[in-house]
Amino acid sequence: MNSVGEACTELKREYDQCFNRWFAEKFLKGESGGDPCGQLFKRYQLCVQKAIKEKEIPIEGLEFMGPSKGKTENST
Amino acid sequence: HPWETVTTAAMQKYPNPMNPSVVGVDVLDRHVDPTGKLHSHRLLSTEWGIPSIVKSLIGTSRTKTYVQEHSVVDPVKKTMELKSSNISFTNLVSVDERLVYKPHPHNPDKTILTQEAIISVKGVSLSSYLEGLMANTISSNANKGREALEWVINRLNAEIEEFTASARGTMRNSMAAAAFVEK
Repeated sequence: MNSVGEACTELKREYDQCFNRWFAEKFLKGESGGDPCGQLFKRYQLCVQKAIKEKEIPIEGLEFMGPSKGKTENST
Repeated sequence: HPWETVTTAAMQKYPNPMNPSVVGVDVLDRHVDPTGKLHSHRLLSTEWGIPSIVKSLIGTSRTKTYVQEHSVVDPVKKTMELKSSNISFTNLVSVDERLVYKPHPHNPDKTILTQEAIISVKGVSLSSYLEGLMANTISSNANKGREALEWVINRLNAEIEEFTASARGTMRNSMAAAAFVEK
């Protein structure tokens, strides 16, 4: 499955593999401590955010769209 | 299928042959909240097979429809809730869907899905026709969704079988394979 940003597909695949494993083996079994995929996720995220801005996809209510959008969002 | 199996499959739903128009999936945000529930915000890109002459007129960036999906998985209560709404450049039709997966109350090997869709159409004259059309599509999509998850579950099971078959061949100790055994 591809990413919305063509350049991000490989990063996405690496992250997905890590996440799917953690989800089935740890999270669903009640051990949610320590998400091992944090680094992969960050790298993948940076790429996706750039792609979304470039393609001007109108996503509402997301922090990373920047102050110019004037939207508020609970910080996580 | 038990709830854990369905939930794992739902997180990896795309690609699958029942939803050929979904061409991209991205995770925009994901975190575990203080109560232990996993929240994911995803962006799905769909392409509807618009004729290329139309694409050349309006540009390929406008032929994709985007769907924003927010899911919450509660591993203690065993519920998975998915809310999705479409984003498009025109905003003429909007479809909001809500799906909830829970274990069957009497049979732990089964999962119950409840699904609702809210369709809003701006512009008066075609609205009831369009809504009727979309309501039919959405109810047949509910079946398609179930078939899609069956397909993903079968694929995951086949991967597990391949893995355990090769593990048996190379390792006496089956503990490694047990890490992936389905409940």
